[in-house]
Amino acid sequence: MIFLDLTAAEPLAAGTEDLGCHVSAMIGLSGDFNALLGIHCPAKVGLAIGSAMLGMELEEIDDDTKDALGEISNMLAGGIKESFAGENVNLLLALPTTISGKSYKINTPSGSQRVIFPCEIEAGRFYIDFKYSPR
Amino acid sequence: MDHAANISEATCEIFSSMVMLDVSPKEARQRTNPAFVKSISGIVGLAGRVKGNLSIHLPADVATAVTTAFLGMDVAEINEDVCDAIGELANMLAGAVKTALDPAGSDIKLSMPSTVYGDEYSLDCAHCGISVLVPFELDGQEFSVELLLAET
Repeated sequence: MIFLDLTAAEPLAAGTEDLGCHVSAMIGLSGDFNALLGIHCPAKVGLAIGSAMLGMELEEIDDDTKDALGEISNMLAGGIKESFAGENVNLLLALPTTISGKSYKINTPSGSQRVIFPCEIEAGRFYIDFKYSPR
Repeated sequence: MDHAANISEATCEIFSSMVMLDVSPKEARQRTNPAFVKSISGIVGLAGRVKGNLSIHLPADVATAVTTAFLGMDVAEINEDVCDAIGELANMLAGAVKTALDPAGSDIKLSMPSTVYGDEYSLDCAHCGISVLVPFELDGQEFSVELLLAET
């Protein structure tokens, strides 16, 4: 869909980490368990992903960039939903929210489980973040 | 459905019974200022027959005052306790709004709450056609509760 090669690094241990990101998309999953999927990108990486996906040169984090990232989070969450459905675990998707800004941090309730997958594309590193807690 | 009335009622009820603070609703509006400055937002996703997000946006000093009242502990700046308190408030508000949207209680599920905070950030929902923001006054300051829904 996006036509970019990426390499995934080892998942990071849970904890508060300042990923230094400037654009994020998040989507909630609920049903048999509760979860939240996020994609966090430095501005440069967000622009590269948005440009590749939309086939146009994006120069700043605008609505197009956010739409593209929101759509990617939606597709990823859809993939997760499908794979859990194969195990008879049912999930429903909420709507993606995008966050951008010069400085922000994202926090989830203490007590939830969290895995962060760093991914590398030519423009740099971005992170896929999956948080979940049992019902 | 009168979303603004549902939000006002849920927020006033939760603040008076759980946070022990009185808040007064103002007139509902569409969000105008795109960026939040020195603020914190708690967001909960709604999934199922109705899709969307419920969020609460508070300036940092209002958030610490609310947390102090809610948890009964003194907090001076945004830390993990404040994030947990605001996430939990968002969760309770979403629960109350969900009950109004879906009285039978089987068609809408809530996702995990998350909190976003920082010196400057903006939040957007690309596919949310319905947007209702209700400002509230608390001790002369303002915070807001927002419901974003996809058109069905």
